[in-house]
Amino acid sequence: MLLSLNWLRDFVDLPDELDPHRLAERLTMVTCEVEGVERVRVDADGLVVAEVLTCEPIAGTRDLCCVELDAGAKRLTTISAAPDLAVGKKLIYAPPGATLPQIGKVGRTEVAGRQSEGMIVPGEAVGIEQAAHHAIFLPPSTPAGGPINVGQLDDWIVEIDNKTITHRPDLWGHYGLAREIAAFAGATLKPYTEFISPIERLQDASLPEIPIVIDDADKCPRYTGLMMDGLAPQPSPLLMQARLSHVGIRPIDLIVDLTNYIMAEIGQPMHAFDGEKVACIEVAVTHPGDRFTTLDGVDRVMPAGALMIQSGRRNVALAGIMGGADSEVTARTTRVLLESANFDAPTIRRCAAALGHRTEASARFEKALDPNNTVLSIARFVKLAEQELPDLKLASRLSDAYPKPLPPVSIDVDLGFVNRLMGRDVEASRVEQILQALAFEVARAGEGKLRVQVPSFRATRDVTIEADVIEEVARFVGYENIEPQLPAVRLRRFEPNALHRIERRSLEVLCRSEGFAEIQTFLWDDESWLAALGCDPGQRIGVRNPPAAGTDKLRRTLLPGLLAAVERNRHYLDDFSLLELGSVFLPKGIEGCKQETEFRHLGLACVLRGGRKTEDRCVDRVRQAIENWARHALNRPVEFALPDDGPRFVWEHPHKRAVVMVSQRCVGRVTAVPEALKARIHEHLGRWSIALAELRLDGLLDLPAVEVKLRPVPAYPQVQLDFSVLGATERSFAQIRQLLETFEHPLLRRVTFLDSYQGSALPQGKRSLTLRAWIGHGQRTLTDQDRRHFEQAFTQFLAQNDLPLRS
Amino acid sequence: MSLFEQLEQIGQQARQAVERADDPQQLAQAQSAVLGRKGSLTQLLRALGTLDPSQRVEVGKVANQLKQELTELFAARRQALQSAVDRRRQQETAAYDPTTPAQRGQIGSVHPVTAVQWEIEDVFTRLGFTVEAGPEMDSEYYNFDALNTPATHPARDIQDTFWLSNGMLLRTQTSAVQVRAMEKFGPPLRVVVPGRCFRSETVDASHSNTFHQLEGLVVDYDISIANLIATMKLLLREVIGRDLPVRLRPGYFPFVEPGFELDMACQICGGKGCRTCKNTGWIEMLPCGMVHPNVLRAGNVDPREYTGFAFGLGLTRLAMMKYGISDIRTLTSPDLRGLLRPELLYGPPVVSPDDRQKG
Repeated sequence: MLLSLNWLRDFVDLPDELDPHRLAERLTMVTCEVEGVERVRVDADGLVVAEVLTCEPIAGTRDLCCVELDAGAKRLTTISAAPDLAVGKKLIYAPPGATLPQIGKVGRTEVAGRQSEGMIVPGEAVGIEQAAHHAIFLPPSTPAGGPINVGQLDDWIVEIDNKTITHRPDLWGHYGLAREIAAFAGATLKPYTEFISPIERLQDASLPEIPIVIDDADKCPRYTGLMMDGLAPQPSPLLMQARLSHVGIRPIDLIVDLTNYIMAEIGQPMHAFDGEKVACIEVAVTHPGDRFTTLDGVDRVMPAGALMIQSGRRNVALAGIMGGADSEVTARTTRVLLESANFDAPTIRRCAAALGHRTEASARFEKALDPNNTVLSIARFVKLAEQELPDLKLASRLSDAYPKPLPPVSIDVDLGFVNRLMGRDVEASRVEQILQALAFEVARAGEGKLRVQVPSFRATRDVTIEADVIEEVARFVGYENIEPQLPAVRLRRFEPNALHRIERRSLEVLCRSEGFAEIQTFLWDDESWLAALGCDPGQRIGVRNPPAAGTDKLRRTLLPGLLAAVERNRHYLDDFSLLELGSVFLPKGIEGCKQETEFRHLGLACVLRGGRKTEDRCVDRVRQAIENWARHALNRPVEFALPDDGPRFVWEHPHKRAVVMVSQRCVGRVTAVPEALKARIHEHLGRWSIALAELRLDGLLDLPAVEVKLRPVPAYPQVQLDFSVLGATERSFAQIRQLLETFEHPLLRRVTFLDSYQGSALPQGKRSLTLRAWIGHGQRTLTDQDRRHFEQAFTQFLAQNDLPLRS
Repeated sequence: MSLFEQLEQIGQQARQAVERADDPQQLAQAQSAVLGRKGSLTQLLRALGTLDPSQRVEVGKVANQLKQELTELFAARRQALQSAVDRRRQQETAAYDPTTPAQRGQIGSVHPVTAVQWEIEDVFTRLGFTVEAGPEMDSEYYNFDALNTPATHPARDIQDTFWLSNGMLLRTQTSAVQVRAMEKFGPPLRVVVPGRCFRSETVDASHSNTFHQLEGLVVDYDISIANLIATMKLLLREVIGRDLPVRLRPGYFPFVEPGFELDMACQICGGKGCRTCKNTGWIEMLPCGMVHPNVLRAGNVDPREYTGFAFGLGLTRLAMMKYGISDIRTLTSPDLRGLLRPELLYGPPVVSPDDRQKG
């Protein structure tokens, strides 16, 4: 929102030498954020009021007119492209010798073969908001030839960040900000009653009352109207046009400008109906499917439960948002019904959102406006209109339907609590002074207690509890006047968050020791990528308002995202490892979920240049990483088992695939990416081998604690014996390990795995496995005989179990 | 051959052997052949005992002179050879260039946001805060209702929140964990909650629909605005590494009252005003405020007994500031070139004009 400093000065006396930047800083610190301060200065001189005497289009040109002007003493002729020129209109004219910003001195020139003296000043030349080339028209009463006081075009504009005043309906106009400024500047705020026509005058009982019916008082607590005659459509005075322009509103004509002017002053939107067409008012609630054409010519389907202004049960305006095309004021209008109403904020907001049509009016009604502004704004309108239109007559009394008065808000404030919450002491008198400057009524209510009456413009939603009142005190005391002090803490135990702990440790191990680079991708699947992979992840939770087409499902697995990342990064990297730690979402009924469930997954991808040749190494690398992850992040070993189902997803390999077991729980799967999928992603991706793993961390939170015990150094030396055996290839190492569990020998300390080999040197269907047995004795050094006995027993055991020594 | 002739011959051979020896080993062998326990001169000297005394004195004198001479000769030669060896070794060692880049390692690294997140977590754990987590898919209750955000609040509009087909939503703020934390721990409470948040915004270089925040919440007896300011100053001191001027100004968030925006003196211009700080000299750092009584109530905390403060730190923005990332989309892209330090990605550079230009 834009503020005019000159306008603020109407309401509060500010020193002439006031630095607007300093004012902006104070506003930012006490009230709301100022986004910028800008000087508006019009370097013009010698401008006069001129009346159009004749206006002839010049044949052969598209839009030029030859205009004869009365500029006081002399008649002058100028050639102009300004539209809407008509005989009798008053406008701003720069005669020869005048100066204009950017243009400089205006003189006599030749245009389209004719002599042109001076120029009709276009709005943009002096900062009046108009379409390009449009003249600035002035009220008909303005005497021709009179000088233009360009001083009224100079101003300082302060831009307020709208987001910082969404909770303050009173700040959506100059008067509310003037109140804040007066309060922190110690200046006096002029009462708004000085600026309005006396309300008693408007309540003239001799005039008829406008019939007003409100169907739902909750949605429309107050509706005020006034009928006026003698409103001729005419331009507004230059000062009003300048101020509206400076705050970003384009001047149109007096009636519209007045409603906008008052909206910019106290934040109250108004609407002017053609009084010939609208003579009575009903405030109705819409039904589903109702249609209405707003004055911008758009036919709209109304949401149910919105407010519609009707006259004789005929729709005439979309309450709080926009008027209707049929009832708007036109050039022929002389009788006007002025509406100033108070609508329920959520009703207006929902309707504007449903229609996708937010207007200046709806943006203000959304803030929960002060119902007392309906009467004030109409009284202000009459005051300003009468200054311009001496023939204005009231055609009705002030008609005010107020079925649901705003309940008074009174708050008890404990001064001790004020001091405790602020962390500094403030005198009771200072608290009173601050609140009174903001129009709160304050009464002492016993020792250390105040009873505070909230003014109506703060009582609609903004100030409801003690803390709200304390904020008023604190911001005027100034946060910079509160001495920082660290809190005194009471020690206590917090049960650590197991999931967070595992997550952090997992990343520490994998990224720091195992060489994984962490990525973070979006929470929703990319359907086009899934289609490219040929992957159907099945039922998923949907996003009702997805960020883009084809991203309307939440991911169930991290691996498609990791595959996309692999394809992206392999263009400039040979060997690399990626991981993502993030949430995945399962719908109800999938994997036994009783409801929609979020899981934390850890996805791993290892990539090695070398295609099929490096594939085993690649899977090993992921498995090693998982082993280290389990050891360091979970403090326990991991085992790999053969899955008892087939590949679940396109990226799972028919053979090179395992489930990851931790403490007998399956926590995830690891797989090589099959050639076919790589080829499908990109013809060159086959030059790399890729291994993937996905682990679910949620299943690991309640693992029993493991105690780590270290062994004493053996008192007598141990001996290592290596055994290379031949076994059937389909026999998994996991099975062999189970078998070895059953071998018992008093000297055996442990068996470790050295390597596994498969190749043409071996018989078909066989592989070689090298195991290392560690033997030792607790009380003595081993003898050759010990060693021979063990070798014999172990070899025999292996041979009996179809694992003969490789000769 | 007389003993003198024999001595003469031993001396001759020994001198030749010294000449011939190319390395310390050969020399040592030659020395032991003459002067060793079974060496020729040693044996001859041992045999002197069998001679008659007159001869013994004369031969002994010559033999001892020879022994003396050869011992010195061998020693001198050994020294010469040894230094030759040393020189050669030195030359070999000199061929090793310790300034070539050492072997390139694995390119592991956490995400820039994670790195910043851990840094802040550590700051707060040192101050006795606990670190909590909450779900990304959350209920309207925790994300809005419990946070005193009425159903009519503009933040509830479909434009801002991602709503899910099951009626849940993707949390729009880590504040969603405030009430969960109060329910879990009760007062006194000191907790930070890092996490990912989602808002339905149009994505561009400075806006993303996915970003990280870190929520902080303190609830105890007599927690005040003065406490909030001091804690925030301490946080910034730890993050930036030195004391910085901060200022508190009014800000509105439904779940705090009063609510503030905390600004930090702009580090680019030192507070004088520049483009980064829009000429104000201040950078908006974190929204914060005193916990609204309704939020305390929602967390089963009695607002007549306890007060608290809360703040929300934009981890994504902090990471962008810290690592000089100008496009927020870098952080949700899987492209490692934007996420990793160049030397982690490409190995140690020989020259890299690319990095020089950047920084």
